[in-house]
Amino acid sequence: MIATFKNMIHACGSKADVMRGSLVYAVLAAIAQGLAYALLFPLFAALASGSDMVWWYVIGIIALVLGDAALRLGESHGGWRVYIEVSDETRSNLGEQLKRMPLEQLAKRQTGDLNSVLTGNVNDVVSIAGGLYGIVINTMVAPMVTIIATLFVDWRLSVAMLILFPAAIPIYRVIREAGAKENRISATAHADAASHIIEYTQGLSVLRATRQVGSESQRLQASLARLREAQVRGTKLVTLPSIFMAAIVQIGILAITALAISFVLGDSLSVAAVLALIVIAIRFSEPLALFANMSSMFDFMEAAIDRISELLAVPPLAQAGEATNTDGSHVMFEGVSFAYDGTQEDVLVDVSFDVPERSLTALVGTSGSGKTTITKLLTRFADPQVGKVTIGGVDIRSMSQNELMRQFSVVFQDVYLFDESIGENIRLAKPDATQDEIVAAAKAANCHDFISALPNGYDTGVGEIGGALSGGERQRISIARAILKDAPIVILDEPTSALDTESEVAVQRAIDTLVRDKTVLVIAHRLSTIVAADNIIVLEAGQIVEQGNHAALLADDGRYAEMWHAQRSDRHWQITSG
Amino acid sequence: MSEQTSSVKPDEVDTDPGLWTIISPVNREIYTGMAVSLLSLVAWLASIMLFLPITRELMMPEPDVGRLVLLIGAGFGLVAFSFVCRAWSFRISHLGAFRLEQILRTELTARLAKVPLGYVVNAGSGALKKIVLDDVRSLHAFVADSTPLFAKTFSAPILGIILMLFLDWRLALLSLALFPVGIIAMFFAFRDYDVARKKVDQATERINKVINEYVQGMHVVRTFDDGSGSFERYRSALNDATETMREWTSQSQMGAFIARTLFAALPTVLVLLAVGVPMYQAGTLELPILMMFLLLAPTVTESIVPIVWLQQLLTNAAAAVKRIGDLRKVELIPEVDEGPSPADASVKLIDVSFCYEGRSDNALTNVSLTIPAGTVTALVGASGAGKSTIAQLIPRFWDVTEGKILVGGVDVRDMTADVLLHNVAFVFQSPFLLSDSIKNNIRLGKPDATEEEVVAAAKAAQAHDFIMTELPDGYDSVVGERGSSLSGGQRQRITIARAILQDSPIIVLDEATAFADPDNEAKIHQALAELARGKTLIVVAHRLSTIVDAHQIAVLDQGRIVESGTHESLVAAGGRYAKLWSHFEQAQDWGLRVADTGANADPQEEAEVS
Repeated sequence: MIATFKNMIHACGSKADVMRGSLVYAVLAAIAQGLAYALLFPLFAALASGSDMVWWYVIGIIALVLGDAALRLGESHGGWRVYIEVSDETRSNLGEQLKRMPLEQLAKRQTGDLNSVLTGNVNDVVSIAGGLYGIVINTMVAPMVTIIATLFVDWRLSVAMLILFPAAIPIYRVIREAGAKENRISATAHADAASHIIEYTQGLSVLRATRQVGSESQRLQASLARLREAQVRGTKLVTLPSIFMAAIVQIGILAITALAISFVLGDSLSVAAVLALIVIAIRFSEPLALFANMSSMFDFMEAAIDRISELLAVPPLAQAGEATNTDGSHVMFEGVSFAYDGTQEDVLVDVSFDVPERSLTALVGTSGSGKTTITKLLTRFADPQVGKVTIGGVDIRSMSQNELMRQFSVVFQDVYLFDESIGENIRLAKPDATQDEIVAAAKAANCHDFISALPNGYDTGVGEIGGALSGGERQRISIARAILKDAPIVILDEPTSALDTESEVAVQRAIDTLVRDKTVLVIAHRLSTIVAADNIIVLEAGQIVEQGNHAALLADDGRYAEMWHAQRSDRHWQITSG
Repeated sequence: MSEQTSSVKPDEVDTDPGLWTIISPVNREIYTGMAVSLLSLVAWLASIMLFLPITRELMMPEPDVGRLVLLIGAGFGLVAFSFVCRAWSFRISHLGAFRLEQILRTELTARLAKVPLGYVVNAGSGALKKIVLDDVRSLHAFVADSTPLFAKTFSAPILGIILMLFLDWRLALLSLALFPVGIIAMFFAFRDYDVARKKVDQATERINKVINEYVQGMHVVRTFDDGSGSFERYRSALNDATETMREWTSQSQMGAFIARTLFAALPTVLVLLAVGVPMYQAGTLELPILMMFLLLAPTVTESIVPIVWLQQLLTNAAAAVKRIGDLRKVELIPEVDEGPSPADASVKLIDVSFCYEGRSDNALTNVSLTIPAGTVTALVGASGAGKSTIAQLIPRFWDVTEGKILVGGVDVRDMTADVLLHNVAFVFQSPFLLSDSIKNNIRLGKPDATEEEVVAAAKAAQAHDFIMTELPDGYDSVVGERGSSLSGGQRQRITIARAILQDSPIIVLDEATAFADPDNEAKIHQALAELARGKTLIVVAHRLSTIVDAHQIAVLDQGRIVESGTHESLVAAGGRYAKLWSHFEQAQDWGLRVADTGANADPQEEAEVS
């Protein structure tokens, strides 16, 4: 429990002191509350004996209640600060981390997962650190204080109550373990149901044709039934022990009152003390009984803290040595071998090649042959285990992220546009670009005309028109970005393959402008587009099997020639029903 | 207390009228759960009431031990009974909630099979999964946890007050004095609650949206710079949200604090002492009664706390309820139970107009098209011209707004869904595979197919070889498991094998625009050729070279067919198609080049000789 609180304080980062402060307030408030209840013992005794002290005890209780309120105000004030400031700080740190961590690590994590760390998990932490923990403190500390105070009334009762607590601990452990087990069972069952529901919706046209829908859909129904079974089992695991624990606590408290009554009958305890004891015992019984359930929220918090720290702990790619200025944009791979994080298999094996300045180099090969990995290493998605990559004679590991990225424009197949104006989307490549520069880039990328035709021109929000932009238009916007950036090296990942004929021509023209006089590395599927390349690198299973220009490779009659002929004959492929 | 009850009830009815309807299939469990929970409460209160005779007996000069034992024994019995009831009610309501989840999921998925398929395709499997799985799940908390709580929260104060009035009406009224004070404090604290809350909700929503975008776009922005630009935007959104939260708390913090403090147990204890002590000293109140009040009154005042929780649970459920309700509101596509079968494999569109729901402009206007059995028809046009819409209307993903579509001479609306979909196969661009064995995936097209038929279909689809050589367990390999990850092209070929096995006479094909790699592309083309053999084929074409030999090419522009005919006749006509064709040829000629020189012209030309 103490470790949990330490974790919680630690998770508050620079606001740890605020957190500590409210924790102290919470504990003090609980102590005040426990003492206020403890004063019921002398109060009832004074009432029974008709002593004058009665009002002093009432005043004592009033003072403690006011003290409790004041302390709680302090606690709640700190709690809000923690809630607001810690979520701000943690999200900011996580945001920094996202832009610092190696892209390979970023790509390994699903967007949805990252999202849930930044939103959900941060929230889990701050809502507990920002106040909910106080409930647990209260249910623990206040009764404890009262029990200790009871020592002065009757040590036997105090000891009996103290025994009740440890007795509940093993059950509490069972509950926590059962809870963890239940979470696993339910998570598995939910994941299973999720994939079946997705399958079902994706396959509906096939499933409808074979009447396997609704209650007839056996796979889905079986999965839903499994889910319910898991839920029922999970409920049994968790709820029965926790209700059992609540019952033990309540019956235990009743037993203690019975014990007290027997002391009265044996003349070793006053009736007044029993009256006070009953009030105190009943008051604390409900919160104590719920204690196990409430403390399970700490499990949530700790799981959330774990996920946050795991993300924050990913080390950034090291910047080795001092950066020297690059001399031109000559790209070199020297004996590069690379395996993705957590895998044994090399996806690139001893790859060496040269991309002279202002030349066109094409990467060709089947999917999985390593084409994309090469472009990833060049942009320092991850560092190779063996060998090095240099630009203009400088090892890219010695460049800062900013410096390195200044070297490239990258155009992918999939274009990501931010939910902002089209102008802002283009400006992304060069934050200080003037409006004229943006328009010039858009004109060069063949997209000025359709942008001008939009309701608000360059100020039209991408979200407003959303699906109204065709694939080709989105692609041209991304090329305008790249043109605006005007980086010396251009990396293209088959940007035209997913477009229809008309867009294709427009995008091709835009690319012509983009690559003029640049050093270009292109991943090509359609070989006809790279016939003019200075160098064509043919990859197979992570190794370069051939390289040379088109004519030379055709003359060699190797793997490239084979692909070339296959594609040429396929170009005449036509659909017929004959 | 009654004000409290009525002030909560109408609210919740306002926010989600659908909730109680949605959970009505498990009404039996809900009401039983509530009743048993009430029973548990009554037993617990009764056990507390026993303390009155117990303490009175104790204060007798000569306490009757037998009677005390009896009373304490009864106390144990009642507490035990109360817990049995509590566990029982908990069990009833949870099992009910689970049953409800399954009922709703079955209902919603059955419903998905009856709404227009186009709705399902457009909504996307991710969003539908969220409704069917996550939203339904979020109702669980309400049904399982709040129904027992509901009974207890509203009955505890009422029963408590009745008991107190019965014990001593003067003290009862005085001890409740804090209540109106608390309510007034609450009223002031939460006066602008709704407005402020909305602001906070908006800020939270915005933060979630910005985080989502920041995370999603990170891969992209990292290719521009070190991510600083995007981080600045993220940071400023964080600042806004933090400011809003600060404002909100500074406004509502004090009121909420006062309310929370007043409704806690200790202030009530204080009031009771302040009033009870003088009454006792004046001899008008006996000590055991004062004790009973100290037990009962805090129970009444504290009951306000779960009401706040309940409100929270209701708000949480509201968004889910709305999405579930929206899905239930989607109009079903009217289906016949029995209908004629198509006479042949022809397709005819007669004066078809179509408008997507919620749109004012037609996606298709007066489209007529005759597709004889066994012919190939290509639909071409820019994106948004309506070619995919026609393709979707034939298998009845949507119903036409005007006109009609005949398959084999029968209106698609007069056929049962399975007859129609058996006659018209829709081959998607994005392949759909079950996480099941390869065999079962292919067999999905024809559940009673023999092993030989499956293999024959796979061979025709150019899939047999990689299934046998690359997959660990051949046809029994489970898709997506270790060693059985398939490339996009391989998945596509499995889907085609399924369609070949299904053997529908009419095939609607949305031609894939991009394939994984050249090898795969050729194989997929061979597979498609097998699939098309002897069929009526309708192709949404992107590469014009594929459809040069089509019997009929329909050229669409802004939802109308502007031209149709064979390739030669259309090229000769010099219209829209001729323009598309020249664009296409131009695109085919294109090659990357860094410099403007014509040095590379030779191989380029060689590429063009065909």
